[in-house]
Amino acid sequence: MDANEAENRMREIQRIMERATLFTLLPGTAAVVGGLLVLVGCAVSYAMFRSLDFADILHLPVHGQIDFCVMWFLIGVAGVLVEVILTNRAAAGQQLTSTSRPMRVAAFSLTPSVIVAMVLTVKFLVPVDARVWSMLWSWNFNVPLEPRAEEIQYIVPVWMMLYGTGVYTAGLFSIRPPRVLGLMFLAMGVIALLCFPQYGVVSAALSFGVLHLVFGLYILHKQRQTVL
Amino acid sequence: MNEPVKPDDIDAIIHERVRLSIVAALAVSPQLSFGELKSTLSLTDGNLSAHSRTLEDAGYIVVDKTFRGRRPHTAMRLTAKGRKAFERYLETLRQIIDRGGNAGGGPS
Repeated sequence: MDANEAENRMREIQRIMERATLFTLLPGTAAVVGGLLVLVGCAVSYAMFRSLDFADILHLPVHGQIDFCVMWFLIGVAGVLVEVILTNRAAAGQQLTSTSRPMRVAAFSLTPSVIVAMVLTVKFLVPVDARVWSMLWSWNFNVPLEPRAEEIQYIVPVWMMLYGTGVYTAGLFSIRPPRVLGLMFLAMGVIALLCFPQYGVVSAALSFGVLHLVFGLYILHKQRQTVL
Repeated sequence: MNEPVKPDDIDAIIHERVRLSIVAALAVSPQLSFGELKSTLSLTDGNLSAHSRTLEDAGYIVVDKTFRGRRPHTAMRLTAKGRKAFERYLETLRQIIDRGGNAGGGPS
């Protein structure tokens, strides 16, 4: 065996070890916490406008709409923080840092689809077009906010599909469960978009809530079996 | 100065690609099920079975076969002997890389 082959072998070993490591890094607890936060968010949303349709936020007074947006923003931030903290803790236990390849692979796989989902959310809420940009360009911030119910209904299914795409991609570098989770999000997102866009609260509760909860409990169960 | 790497230094059991993959995956997990290994390494049932048997016969891994309800469950873990052999194999690779030479005539 020459030096080149030895180097190739080393790279191969490193790749396999990273792939296997991702399994033990999957943050089951973060998925459970995230799922519970989303279920609470859905319950509070329903209590706010007594409807399963997120578009009914348009019937709330402005301060209610702001409260609604802040609540979901905080849920998103809390979910990401819990995930980052718990994954970093698991990684530290395996002498990995947040810049290690497995961590970067997971982060880079998810980031593009999350960015697309955020951009589309802004587009659905604020009808950004050339006219709006020319207003902003001339320092006129009196941008008209005219969200339409139909577009607001797209937000949850779009997030489900894009989040599913990101999780599926990250799962390509790991074991099967994340890929299955990603595909389930994708399938549920397609069904929600094409069949039940008016039931966004239910879609969000079933996918980001229940699905995350079930996935988290499954991973915790598997990891416990593996360690014992 | 270190001794040059001899062909005999390369462990032929671990050197085989699939077996090396199995050992490398088990080196970072306390235990992996048959399904998890198959999925992580993209192997077929037959391939994984055959190579895991060779590793088990060499005493490098332990294969636990149990039942979960009515379903059979197979889990594998690395033994101390297997971990030592893997570390020795890595050390051999490092020596070959450092020297920029080869182990001539050994398993390839």
